[in-house]
Amino acid sequence: MRSVLRRFTALSLGTRVGLALVGVTVVVAVLAPLLSPYDPVATDAERALQGASWSHWLGTDQYGRDVLSRTLEGGRFALLVSLLATTLAVALGTLVGAVAAYYGRWVDGVITRVLDAVLAVPSVLALLLIVSVFGNSLPVLVVAIAVVYVPAVARVVRGAARPVLTAGYVTAARARGERSLPIITREVLPNILDTILVEFAMRASWVVLLVSTLSFLGFGVNPPTPDWGLMIQENRTALTVAPAGTVAPIVALAALVIGLNLAADGLGKHVGVDRARRGAL
Amino acid sequence: MARMIAARVATSVVTLLLAAFFVFFAVQALPGDVAEQLLGQNATPEAVATMREQLGLDTNVWVRFVEWLGSAVTGDFGTSLVSGESVSASIWTAFSHSLLIAVPAIVVGIAGSLLLGVLAGARRGTSVDSTVSVLALVAMSIPEFVVATVLVLLLAIAAPVFPAVVLEGPDAGVGDLLPAVVLPAVTLVAAMSAYIIRAMRSSTIDGLATEYAVTAELKGVRRRSVLWRHVAPTAVLPVLPVISINVAWLLGGVVVVESVFNYPGLGKLMIDSVSTRDLPVLQAIAVLSALVYVVVNLLADLVALAVDPRQRTLHRPRRRPVVAAAVEEES
Amino acid sequence: MNSSLHRRALLAGALGGIATVGLSACGAPALRTSERAATGAARAGATMRIARPAASAAETLDPASSLSAYEYLGALYNRLVKLDRAGETVPDLATEWSSNADATVWDFRLRGDVRFHDGRRLTARDVRYTFQHILDPDTASPQAGALDLVDGIDAVDATTVRFRLATPNAEFPSLLTAYQCYVIPDGSAGTIGRTGIGTGPFVLEGFTPAGTGRVRANEDHFAGRASLDGIEFYSIQDTSARVNALLARQVDLLLQTNLDNPTARVVAGSPGTTVARVANAQWYTIPMLATSAEFKDPRMREAMRLAYDPEAVLRTALQGTGTAGWDNPVPPELSAHLDHRREHDPERARALLRQIGREGFRTRIYTSAYEPNLTAIAVAYADQVKQAGIDLQITNVAADSYYTQVWMSRPLMVSYWFTGRPVDQLLNQIFRSGSSYNEAAWSNPRFDRLLDAARADTNETTRRQKYQDAQRLVIEEGADMTPVFGDRLVGLSEEVVNYDEHGFELDYLALGLKEV
Repeated sequence: MRSVLRRFTALSLGTRVGLALVGVTVVVAVLAPLLSPYDPVATDAERALQGASWSHWLGTDQYGRDVLSRTLEGGRFALLVSLLATTLAVALGTLVGAVAAYYGRWVDGVITRVLDAVLAVPSVLALLLIVSVFGNSLPVLVVAIAVVYVPAVARVVRGAARPVLTAGYVTAARARGERSLPIITREVLPNILDTILVEFAMRASWVVLLVSTLSFLGFGVNPPTPDWGLMIQENRTALTVAPAGTVAPIVALAALVIGLNLAADGLGKHVGVDRARRGAL
Repeated sequence: MARMIAARVATSVVTLLLAAFFVFFAVQALPGDVAEQLLGQNATPEAVATMREQLGLDTNVWVRFVEWLGSAVTGDFGTSLVSGESVSASIWTAFSHSLLIAVPAIVVGIAGSLLLGVLAGARRGTSVDSTVSVLALVAMSIPEFVVATVLVLLLAIAAPVFPAVVLEGPDAGVGDLLPAVVLPAVTLVAAMSAYIIRAMRSSTIDGLATEYAVTAELKGVRRRSVLWRHVAPTAVLPVLPVISINVAWLLGGVVVVESVFNYPGLGKLMIDSVSTRDLPVLQAIAVLSALVYVVVNLLADLVALAVDPRQRTLHRPRRRPVVAAAVEEES
Repeated sequence: MNSSLHRRALLAGALGGIATVGLSACGAPALRTSERAATGAARAGATMRIARPAASAAETLDPASSLSAYEYLGALYNRLVKLDRAGETVPDLATEWSSNADATVWDFRLRGDVRFHDGRRLTARDVRYTFQHILDPDTASPQAGALDLVDGIDAVDATTVRFRLATPNAEFPSLLTAYQCYVIPDGSAGTIGRTGIGTGPFVLEGFTPAGTGRVRANEDHFAGRASLDGIEFYSIQDTSARVNALLARQVDLLLQTNLDNPTARVVAGSPGTTVARVANAQWYTIPMLATSAEFKDPRMREAMRLAYDPEAVLRTALQGTGTAGWDNPVPPELSAHLDHRREHDPERARALLRQIGREGFRTRIYTSAYEPNLTAIAVAYADQVKQAGIDLQITNVAADSYYTQVWMSRPLMVSYWFTGRPVDQLLNQIFRSGSSYNEAAWSNPRFDRLLDAARADTNETTRRQKYQDAQRLVIEEGADMTPVFGDRLVGLSEEVVNYDEHGFELDYLALGLKEV
């Protein structure tokens, strides 16, 4: 425990703040049902679009639902989907990228071309179609988003794995006649773990934004489930008269994504991966 | 190099085919079809059957795909199931409208971001750097639909400087569209500039730390000159993949923006066509998007090649194991 | 990295975030709308800009088509007859009408002074052609089903049209008020979709499907010249974009757009725009599919009805902007409306459920964002029936597949119609056995016989009595509940005067912009 704390304080301020923001958001999302003063889907038409009061700290939305409760619970869906989708994307992407880098030559060539083809289909179109066909349940969204991001992760992992594969100890292992899978898992992966970690943090921020955009466009979670993207879409017409319903989810969403970005930046620097240069990929 | 380009072109064609194939069969799998969607509450079985017959939807699926493929190769993408107009014409119009937003966004976005990135990198640690970095961080953390919504509120409704919505629809002329282009373009710039700024900043910092930049400064060359004439141009190189990804991403980014502003571009056409299950339009959009993606990537590679001669030999077969550092940059 | 700068930036960010959230927590004024829109003198020479949702990119100006561009029809065309506020059939192009003794032959006398926009005179042949076009199977007109009792149409002379019916219908003229029945010129079916040549108060100047359109005032209109010089129509699919166009003063009026309550409050509270109410313009239904296992038993349906209080649904879901329906599908404005309030008795509902072994009944109730109030009504209804121990799971479905996947196939959902159908059309089209619009698949032979008897009854009083008996049957034994009628909240500029819409009637003549 103490070593974790020590490692934590060794990180820069920005990273610590980022991790704290993410941590707080996750904790709040998990504990939300206990923290919310009201049931987030309970309507109360008599008290619609009210401002802040002692009974409703952030006021109410157009159906009289408590904005604070909805904001507290609004991150659950997005966080869950993002966590699962990112994990799936990173896991699959790592596997594909490592395999491509390991076997090289024509395996690598085929895999790269297929990845390119998947990347070429516009992701928004692909997601719209997948959701329209299979519905917008949690598993579908997780798989759809993961599919969209696997190629990008695979390319990064492949790029990071190639230098490792030419290193001495891997060549030695091959010479010893060890089989591929143990080599990949025991020699290659631990050495690119830092890249993978940074990828995870970076990908997570993208996925959170993507999930909220999908909800905004009407392809994500269904009403009346509280979700930040959906809340922004539902409440934006009332922005001029009762802004809290739109502003609170915006601030919450921005805090989470900023936190993820700060954490990813800091972690990256800490392990020597220049995330900014890697850029958007 | 010619071989590389040829190989790229070949795979691009495969990519386009795959994209069209995927979209075709995904739309087949969609619940409901064009006839039911259009008729809505009036979708009595007789009306639906009549419309299906009129639209030629009662023939076999595979046959239709092959027919489509045949005419697509000649540039004829069929007619829209909904409007009955030529798909190529509608797509071209919508695409040109989207370009009206995308091109200024790209030009201003790239130029501005590169400049800001260099500035931030050169003045690393100062308040200029902090401000730019923080703004970039915030910009990449706020989804574009939020930016779009706030912009509409501030600059179209509260203060009617720009139109909130494009009224004219698909037959809007360039003149009608120009005032409506500003807010969407600004939204896109905000969304994509953050990545380029950060990449350029990082690259500039690295560039300023290289031996030859330090040496030049020590020799008395003015810092500004070192920065703008030596470091900046080469610092652009590693940022090129970032730029190309962002430009290719614009096609997706434009969907949200066009939806908020009712802008008659490719993104809006895409959403409408998914909703009405207008298959020929969707396939053409998929092919066009894949084409844009492929072309942009190819261009970025070519620019990189032109600027950095080292890259030309990267893929030549080697007899000896490669030194790790040279392949660090993604191939 | 300069960490003190960093710290300052972080602190500023945190404070900014908290401040934004805090400052944003203000509220909205309650909705206060007048019953009707402003009336008054309209200025001369004005052009109104109207935003509307496009039917689709396949829309046409052919009134008979299911894809007609609805908002243009009332401006460009006229019907033989139209409906007044009480649902009575009144003259439009026809001045008077009469039938034979058993209501199987109807004669309509036309005005003599009507010309189409291309100068040709209106005659009985145009009317005959119009209805032949509607009845043509290739047109697939939604009104063809209601009019299939027409055996033949004769142009007796230039100003007299005769309809010969296969079965008697004393309410036949009311069937000709439907918005598919606008009169088009003889022989124009092939081109009318683009040309829009009619007899109406406005002449078409330009039309792009799902795009813009323009009409200008018809100087020679038989009922007088319109106040407006012209109207520009703009198609905006997305509702919030349409509202934004109004708020940004790019358009003056939003047609066919029911604003939800918060949007209405925003529009009413913004400078220069306001909200007008069209009373009971939306008819909300909760069809229980009578062919489904869940609702085959009429006692089950009775329990579902007894368990809820429509007044409570009105309060909660619509904030009182409307009228409780009490499961009578005929709107209260119509003179044929039966004022019969059934009981609200959740205890009896519970007893009924026990009797049929369905205690603690659970099922899904489907809803969608297709219309702003559907989900609110579903929630309110589900809340109500809890009193009888019925557990309904609100299930949301995507808007674009709501009517293709859920309507008429799932056991329980929330739906809506526009009011404006006359009572004979309403009961026959939506409640008769076997009708393709019978959303609850309800079949009651006694009800069908009552309707036939009403149609054959030429005495107005006894006929009305039969329609009221039919309503009683729907209320007590039907499968399609009507919890509420909702007011349509229409967004418009404060400059609009004489906006008057009810049912499918919009007064294009008096509509105008106020004098400066």
